[in-house]
Amino acid sequence: MAREIRFGKYLKEAAAHHDTVSYNDLIPEVQRDAEGRELPVEVTGIKLRAVDVYRLLQPYVTIRVMEQVKAVVPLALYLMLFQMIILRQGVNDSVIITAGLFAVIIGLMFFMEGLKIGLMPFGSSLGTTLPAKSSLPVVLTIAFILGIGVTFAEPAIGALKAAGQVVKVETAPYLYALLNDWSEQLVLVVGIGVGTAAVLGTIRLLYGWSLKPFIYATLTPTILLTVYIQQNEELSKMLGLAWDCGAVTTGPVTVPLVLALGIGIASAAGKGSSSLSGFGIVTLASLFPILGVELLAIYVFYATTPEAIIAAASVGSAEVAAWYTQTPYAEVIGGIRAIVPLVIFLVIVMKLVLREKIHNAGIISYGIALAVIGMVIFSLGLTYGLAMLGNQAGGFIPAAFSEVSSVEGSPLYFFSLGILIALFFAWALGFGATLAEPALNALGITVEQLTNGAFKKSTLMYAVSFGVGCGIAIGVAKIVFDIQIAYLLVGFYAIAIVLTYFSSEEFVNIAWDSAGVTTGPVTVPLVLSMGLGFANAANAIEGFGILSMASIGPIIAVQATGLWINMKVTRKRKKLQPELEAAEI
Amino acid sequence: MPQREMVVLTDASLITCVVQKGLADEIVKAAQEGGAQGATIYYGRGTGVRERLGILGLTIEAEKEVITIMVANDQMDRIFEKMYLAGQMDTPGKGFMYVTQLEKAATYVPEEMLEQLVSE
Repeated sequence: MAREIRFGKYLKEAAAHHDTVSYNDLIPEVQRDAEGRELPVEVTGIKLRAVDVYRLLQPYVTIRVMEQVKAVVPLALYLMLFQMIILRQGVNDSVIITAGLFAVIIGLMFFMEGLKIGLMPFGSSLGTTLPAKSSLPVVLTIAFILGIGVTFAEPAIGALKAAGQVVKVETAPYLYALLNDWSEQLVLVVGIGVGTAAVLGTIRLLYGWSLKPFIYATLTPTILLTVYIQQNEELSKMLGLAWDCGAVTTGPVTVPLVLALGIGIASAAGKGSSSLSGFGIVTLASLFPILGVELLAIYVFYATTPEAIIAAASVGSAEVAAWYTQTPYAEVIGGIRAIVPLVIFLVIVMKLVLREKIHNAGIISYGIALAVIGMVIFSLGLTYGLAMLGNQAGGFIPAAFSEVSSVEGSPLYFFSLGILIALFFAWALGFGATLAEPALNALGITVEQLTNGAFKKSTLMYAVSFGVGCGIAIGVAKIVFDIQIAYLLVGFYAIAIVLTYFSSEEFVNIAWDSAGVTTGPVTVPLVLSMGLGFANAANAIEGFGILSMASIGPIIAVQATGLWINMKVTRKRKKLQPELEAAEI
Repeated sequence: MPQREMVVLTDASLITCVVQKGLADEIVKAAQEGGAQGATIYYGRGTGVRERLGILGLTIEAEKEVITIMVANDQMDRIFEKMYLAGQMDTPGKGFMYVTQLEKAATYVPEEMLEQLVSE
């Protein structure tokens, strides 16, 4: 007779070795003190084998490195390949640039991780407890100061300072002054703009006001100042920078921290449940800084003269740079100055206003240290990787259609083809970089839910990317043909306002916010420095303005798509109306 | 009206496996290769070993995925082991898993399979 063996038992013997242990044997013994009371069980550490450390660290590090690699490498490769294949130029200093890009990847990785474990816990607890514990004026004051603080901590802000070194003092003295002597004030003004936006955006959420009047009310003075600045030749050189500042502000630090506070305040008042809560603050945060920088530009214009700036610049360059302005030290100081004040402010608010204990102080300080280290490495990479690469690629592009001294045999193509190539390059850069932006993916999902599927995620992503691509191409065209940026800005924003008037509230919110989502810490420095390099090679006075065009592009594209979808929906409804009525009878 | 039928399955176990968020798919795949029909995954938050790992605890996501898989008793040990190995459960913080005996279960069973079983 055949023997019966349970299949499960057979497998148990055949596969990996099994040990059976009773759980009762594993639990710690109850300890009692002298009076026989139970002591709480002490948590002991765990000894890790080397392989365990590896298994824990490997996925943790890989995921985070890959995130940044995906953001940096395709863009950098695109620039390098374009330069090598289409422009037939080798990449100069490729070792330094590669090291720089590597630093950007590592720096961003540290920074984002530090942000997540060091700063975000403050943001979320501020958002949930602050509105409940303090009065509205106090909350709004904190929101305002927070707006300034996060601007200084924004990694892309460093790109502005890096850009300042490229501007020629002789041709655009005020622009040079704004980016060098006045750079601290510039960032401060941008921060005040973000702070104001945080306050107004929060009030808007609180009372459920429409975004449209805010857009009209903010744009009117901004555009009027633009027209005023345009009247003066020297002043007008600062316009591009002013409008670009709007795009720089809305990065990975500002958006989550300011949003957390805004949404927290609104939901504490019972207004946070609206499907649109959270939208709008980003829009205002990219409009107010423009206004601020315009005002600062006018102030600088009346405060100093070009001669004084040029004189100061020539004196400054003759001196031996102090140690704190030299490469590694300057970045370290910059990194600490960017993050530590924000942290101190957050701690003070937590302790004094909320009177709340800070949990996991050790882990939070570790996070802050990571953020500072990340910021320092990122700023090094920004200067030597992104800015250098963008500058170089931008500098070679004019060789496609005009004579550039550094490129042999330029122009490489006849004029119209060369320009087309340059514009297409710019368009594809904007399109690709935007499509790859993870924040856009998140926005797309939100939008699809908001509109019950009428506005598909992919539709939004393509609309925004198309808009950014066209914006960057127009920005490049502006430099090539030396178009006054004021005309472009006034024209495009007029279109945007008309579209805003006709669009529904949802689409207005989505469209204006999508402009801010697209400009991350990799795109901003790359595009900014590309524009500057391009302008230098094409002998234009200044190369700003590309980012501002990249911001207005998606606003128009998304609103137009929104109107088109609305039209389709109403037409379908009209078509179905008789059938529906018939069905009801 | 014809009498409605219901098939009740016996000899079934439920494997429950708690892992860090994002790791469930890989483990479910291993279970399916071992013959599991499907899995239900839901989200949760866990504490415990994270606090005991010190600085390395940061590498462990507090958000968890809870996988539940119903398996036949005969395949239970094999799938349990496959999931254990796929999830690297012998490393602290990687998760834990357990089996509970199910009294009975019911779901869709293909017609032809039923006929075959009944005729036997």
